Amino acid sequence: MSVFVDIAPDESLIDSPAAVPSGKWRGRVTRAALPLLSLVVFFGVWQLVAVSGIWNQTFVPYPSTVWRASLDVSTTHDGVRGYAGYLLWEHLYMTLRRVFAGVLIGVVLGVLLGLVMGSVSWVRSVLEPWLTFLRALPPLAYFFLLVIWLGIDEAPKITLLALAALPPAAVATTAAVVAAPVGLQEAARALGASKRQVIRDVVVPSALPETFTGIRLAVGMAYSSVVAAELFNGLPGIGGLVKDASNYNNTPVVLVGIFAIGISGLVIDGLLRAVERRAVPWRGKI
Amino acid sequence: MKLKALIATLAATLALAGCSVDHSGDQADKPTIRIGYQSFPSGDLIVKNNKWLEEALPNYNIKWTKFDSGADVNTAFIAKELDFGALGSSPVARGLSAPLNIPYKVAFVLDVAGDNEALVARNGSGVNTIADLKGKRIGTPFASTAHYSLLAALAQNGLSAKDVQLVDLQPQAILAAWDRGDIDAAYSWLPSLDQLRKTGKDLITSRQLAKDGKPTLDLGAVRDEFADAHPDVVDIWRQQEARALNLIHDDPAAAAKAIAAEIGLSPDEVAGQLKQGVYLTPEQVASPEWLGAEGKPGNIAVNLQSASQFLADQKQIPSAAPLQTFQDAIYTKGLPGAITQ
Repeated sequence: MSVFVDIAPDESLIDSPAAVPSGKWRGRVTRAALPLLSLVVFFGVWQLVAVSGIWNQTFVPYPSTVWRASLDVSTTHDGVRGYAGYLLWEHLYMTLRRVFAGVLIGVVLGVLLGLVMGSVSWVRSVLEPWLTFLRALPPLAYFFLLVIWLGIDEAPKITLLALAALPPAAVATTAAVVAAPVGLQEAARALGASKRQVIRDVVVPSALPETFTGIRLAVGMAYSSVVAAELFNGLPGIGGLVKDASNYNNTPVVLVGIFAIGISGLVIDGLLRAVERRAVPWRGKI
Repeated sequence: MKLKALIATLAATLALAGCSVDHSGDQADKPTIRIGYQSFPSGDLIVKNNKWLEEALPNYNIKWTKFDSGADVNTAFIAKELDFGALGSSPVARGLSAPLNIPYKVAFVLDVAGDNEALVARNGSGVNTIADLKGKRIGTPFASTAHYSLLAALAQNGLSAKDVQLVDLQPQAILAAWDRGDIDAAYSWLPSLDQLRKTGKDLITSRQLAKDGKPTLDLGAVRDEFADAHPDVVDIWRQQEARALNLIHDDPAAAAKAIAAEIGLSPDEVAGQLKQGVYLTPEQVASPEWLGAEGKPGNIAVNLQSASQFLADQKQIPSAAPLQTFQDAIYTKGLPGAITQ
C-alpha cells in the first residue's frame, strides 16, 4: 500500500520539471535503489538482532529459518504437502479469491451507494450515520454473528470482507460526487444537458479519480481483515495459516504468512494504481 | 494558547494513564510472584478465588493474569513474564520440545480430561460409530487438547485426518455450525458440549481415551529459574493446589462456588462440570501413574512424549523430543511427601 492515497504521482509530472537527461537518470536510479537499500538494511538489522540473542528464537527467528519455513510451506517434503495439506500458493489463492469476491461486492455496492448519497441529500442524511457506524466496527466484533447467520463456509468470510470494503468506497464516492465542480455542472445545464446527462458526463467523470482512491482504500481495508475473516475454518487460506501457526507458537510460519500477505498487498496496490492511471488519466487536471 | 492546550492535554493523558483499573493492591517493597491461569474449571481457580496463596505467602505480591490459550502462556514463559502457569499437555509438550525448549517444569496435574471433553455425532448425520465418520465434517478447535484427542480416537479406528474433513472451529462456533447442520460431528468441551449432547450422542469421551493410554491433561508449570531460587514457594504453591483438589473431593459445593465466581457460570453448572472432569487426589498426583516421586519421574513423561510425537506428525515441530527430556522436566522434588501431608 502506498502512503499517498489521494495523489497518484504521475510519472510524466515528476520527471518533466527536471528535463535534463542526467537528472532524469539519477531520479530513476534513486527511486529503484532506495527501496532495495531499505530492504538490505532491514534484513541486516534482523540478522543482527537474531544473532545477538537478546530475544528468544520464538520472538525473533533467523531470516534463514523463516526462509526454510517458506520453502517447507511451498513444497512437498517428506510426504507432507505444504502447511496443513496445502501449498503456500494454494493458501494465497483461496484468500485472494475471497478478497476478490468480497471487494467486488463491497465496492460495487459502495460506489452505487456513494453515487446516490452524493446526488440525493436526504438519502445521505439517512445513510451516513449507518455507514459511519459500520466503519467504526472492528470485523472481529461482528464476525461471530456472521457465522451464526451464514455458516462456516465461504459466505461469512466474503460477507465480512465486503462489509469491510463497502464504507471506504461509499464515503470516497459520496465526497467526490458532492465535490463535482458546480461551474461545470451549470455550464452543461446551460448548454441544454438533462440531469441524467449532467451526472453521466460531468459528475461521474470528475468523481472517478476520488472513487478510485476509495477503491484502493477499500481493498486495503478488506485485506487487513483477512486474518479475522479466516478465524473459523480458515484453512486453506493465508489468514487461517497465520492463525493456526500462532496457536502452535510456530513463529517462522507466522512470518511467512505475514510476508505473503504484505507482498501480495503491495502487488495488488501496484496493479490498482496502474489501472487507475489508465482509467482516469485526467486526475488532477480538471 | 496552543501551548496551554497542549499542556492540558498532556496532563489529562497522564492523569488517565494513572487511573487504570487495578485491584491487585501490590506493594512496592515486596517481590512479586506472577501466575498465569486459564478459565477451565480447576483447583487453580479455587486457590485464586479464596486467596489461599496470598494468605500463605504474606511476604510476596501475587499477580494473577488470565490467558486464553496454552500458546499464549508459552509465549509469556519465553518472555520470562511468568513464574507459574496453567496450560494443557499439548502446549507443554510443544514448549519442552525444540525449537522452543522453554525452561519450565511440570509441577502439578490440575485435572485430567474426562467426560467434559467428548466426540459427539449429530442426530440425523447417520454417524453411529467412529468408523462411520469417514468422509464426514468434524469441527474441533485446532491446536487444542480436543484436536489431539480427536486424532487419537480416529487413529484407534484406523482413520487418519485425511479420511475426514476437519474444520477448525472454536466451541461457540461449533455450536452455531452444529445448529445449522454444517458439521456432522464435533470434539468439544463443556459448557457448550452439553448443548451439543441435546441433539447428538457421544461417540467417545476423553475419559475413555485416557484409559486407552491417550490422556489429555491440564498442568501447572513452574519456571526453572524460579523453582531453583524459591523451592519453598513452589512447595507452598503445590500445597495450596493439593488443598484445592481435596476441596473438590470433600466439599464439591464449596469448590463449585469458588470456581463459579471466577468464570461467571452458575455454581450448579460448575458442579456439573466438576463431576464430568477427572480430578486426582494429591496421592494420585504423586503416584507413578502421574508425576511420580523424587528421582522417579512418573508416567506423565510418557504422555508428554506421545503428545510431542503427535506435534511432530502434524509438522508443527521438526521432531519429537526424547523421553529423557520430559522426565527431566517433571518437578518431583520432595514428592510424594510434599503434597500429601
